[in-house]
Amino acid sequence: MKTLKRILLVEDNLKDVDLTLAALADHNLANEVVVARDGAEALDYLYARGAFAGRDPGPPAVMLLDIKMPKVNGLEVLRAIKSDPALRTLPVVMLTSSREEPDLAESYSLGANAYVVKPVDFLQFVEAVKQLGVFWAVLNEPPPGTAHR
Amino acid sequence: MALLNPGPVLRPGRRWRAACCLALGLAFGAGPALPAPPSREYQVKAVFLFNFAQFVDWPPAAFPSAGSPLVIGVLGEDPFGAALDDAVRGETVASRPLAVRRFRRPADIAECHILFVSRPASARLGEVLAALDGRAVLTVGEADDFAARGGMIHFVTDKSRTRLRINLDAARNAGLTLSSKLLRPAEIVATARNAP
Amino acid sequence: MKFSLRDVPIRRKLMGALLLTSVTVMLLMRGSFFTYEYLNFRSNTARQLGVMGRMIAANSTAALAFENEPDAREILSALRVEPQVTAAALYTADGRLFTSFAAPDRASPLPASPGETGFRFTGARLAGFQPVLNDQRRLGTLYLEYDTGPVMRTWLRDSVTIALAVMGVVLVVAYLLARALQRQISAPIVDLARTAQAVSERGDYSVRALPAGGGEIRQLTDAFNQMLTQIEALNRELERRVAARTAELEIANKELEAFSYSVSHDLRAPLRHIDGFAGLLVKADGERVSERGRKYLATIASSARQMGTLIDDLLVFSRMGRSEMTFRDVDLRQLVDEEIRTLQAQNPDRRIRWDIGPLPVVPGDRPMLRQVLVNLLANAVKYTGPRDPAEISVGARPDGAGKVVVHVRDNGVGFDMQYADKLFGVFQRLHRAEEFEGTGIGLANVRRIVSRHGGETWAEAAVGAGATFFFSLPLSRPALS
Repeated sequence: MKTLKRILLVEDNLKDVDLTLAALADHNLANEVVVARDGAEALDYLYARGAFAGRDPGPPAVMLLDIKMPKVNGLEVLRAIKSDPALRTLPVVMLTSSREEPDLAESYSLGANAYVVKPVDFLQFVEAVKQLGVFWAVLNEPPPGTAHR
Repeated sequence: MALLNPGPVLRPGRRWRAACCLALGLAFGAGPALPAPPSREYQVKAVFLFNFAQFVDWPPAAFPSAGSPLVIGVLGEDPFGAALDDAVRGETVASRPLAVRRFRRPADIAECHILFVSRPASARLGEVLAALDGRAVLTVGEADDFAARGGMIHFVTDKSRTRLRINLDAARNAGLTLSSKLLRPAEIVATARNAP
Repeated sequence: MKFSLRDVPIRRKLMGALLLTSVTVMLLMRGSFFTYEYLNFRSNTARQLGVMGRMIAANSTAALAFENEPDAREILSALRVEPQVTAAALYTADGRLFTSFAAPDRASPLPASPGETGFRFTGARLAGFQPVLNDQRRLGTLYLEYDTGPVMRTWLRDSVTIALAVMGVVLVVAYLLARALQRQISAPIVDLARTAQAVSERGDYSVRALPAGGGEIRQLTDAFNQMLTQIEALNRELERRVAARTAELEIANKELEAFSYSVSHDLRAPLRHIDGFAGLLVKADGERVSERGRKYLATIASSARQMGTLIDDLLVFSRMGRSEMTFRDVDLRQLVDEEIRTLQAQNPDRRIRWDIGPLPVVPGDRPMLRQVLVNLLANAVKYTGPRDPAEISVGARPDGAGKVVVHVRDNGVGFDMQYADKLFGVFQRLHRAEEFEGTGIGLANVRRIVSRHGGETWAEAAVGAGATFFFSLPLSRPALS
């Protein structure tokens, strides 16, 4: 089995976290998932500060980023990452309920690598999350200089 | 008058003869003797004498009164027969009736305004004119040189037509005014020097 | 094209009226003058001939009295100097022809005897008798014949020449006068018309017509200018109101956007959770739940999914009403062909006979028009489900009023026309959900899109006998969308 890379899941809704983790676990992809409950936490993790000071070094292989969150929302997180040269190369997949065009357009213009709408249908949701995990955490080669584990 | 009007000069036709016969019949039908009818020439001349009355103006003194007649006199032998009487019958000129008188000798000449001097009487023209001297009488004659010898109107027969030769001076001297219209178809002559 | 006096510019109309009046007046005057002159000429000629006759008669008295025919002939021959005297004759008192002369070209014989006194016209020939009197005594009669023809012809020719010359001069003068006068009248009107045209063409209500002249035209100009002022004021008020209303609408739109964002995001999440956890429950403890319990769980999950679909459809419908349209030429035939391929792929077991007629290229928003055809064609496929083979035809024809009418006809189950009104409403369905799936929002979308393109939608059908859906689209881009 290939080495699993770390996935950063940024999601404020616990039920969604559960579902996502369940979906990943269903495909044995759940081991290396770090969950941040809002944008601030996500940034703390990325900068290894606050609660995440002294975490395993290195950026995750991919960040699954919800848009609608308290405190710092997904688009703000995205803007912060993409404007920081150190973090700019981090792949970001928007995982959101929003089908709204402005969200889509802004995400891409800020540099999102993908945009996935969470399907209502659980089976489809599981399938989507699995594909995401497989693609980003297994198949995709991260940019050079990013640590594994 | 219509009946006695001169017939056509160029074309004496049946109509004229009929009129002539009728006139004669009316004039002499009741008479015991039928004198020879006047020639065509004298019928014309009779009408001419009457016509002179229309183209000549007499001085007022020539008439005794306003209603007195205009007298046509014939001196000597009368060549007109009844033609002259017929021509004037019933006519008036300037509202004067017309009358015809016949004089045998110049001495007989009484009141008269037109005097026809017959050919024979013209032999003693000088005596006639002398008798009329100072009187407003239009003298008319047919003897040769009548006008040149002091007469006023001379009937000249030319190719069977009657033409007028007028001695204007004589008429003027007598106090008569001749219409220019009368002069128009006439030949004007003057009294010869050797005239009596 | 039929000529109409109304199409003639006012300048020319005035010009024409003035000239026509001048010419008519001139012709009438000329005509009356002509008639007067003609009658005058005749009576003058008759009078002159009378004078001439009296003179000749007076001169002829002695000639008649003394029967001097050469003299009479000479008198008459004096008339030869007057070439219009074609014949003359003297008759004696008793009516005989005394003497005469006649122009060489005169054919008819002279009267044999005198007639009534006086001169009369017979055509152009003036002839008559004049008694020859001396002291009221009739000596005869004079006959004179006078041909007015040559004089008349000369007079006529001269009159016409003069009339034409005068008319020409008058026309030129009238033309110059009319041109000067009509300018006085028409210039303000033409200026007014030009201003009105400028206003209507450029929509510039700030221009004003130059006040010129007086009377009604001045009133017209003033009224026009006043109207412009009023329109300007109304326009400003209208613009102000539109701006205010637009601002309100923008606020409302923003609120609506926020609302649908919430719907999109917040409403879907619980549904996802219901479905998700129901699924997880079945997966984790499915064996411990009774058969009936599993059935309930499945119903919970499918209800949640259905609600998700409804929300998605509502969002699409809302977007169709709000999103901006990008107009470009859209080939309807191409859209139909693409959609048919998709439908065939989605329904590999269905036998469908497609009959696609010529379809136009219309100006429109391509994704939206695609949505229209997707909905109509998918409906046709869906409601012909019980037919084998299904027959679906698409065609178009111009409506003669600048639009094209496209129809999609099927031989499906059709519907009752008394419900046709409900067809295009949101979530209106004419069939039970078990019969045909769907949320009932497709036709509402169709109507909204077509309406935003400036067209109309309607349908004809009978139960069991298929349905035909129509929509019309403008062939040129609508000015306001």
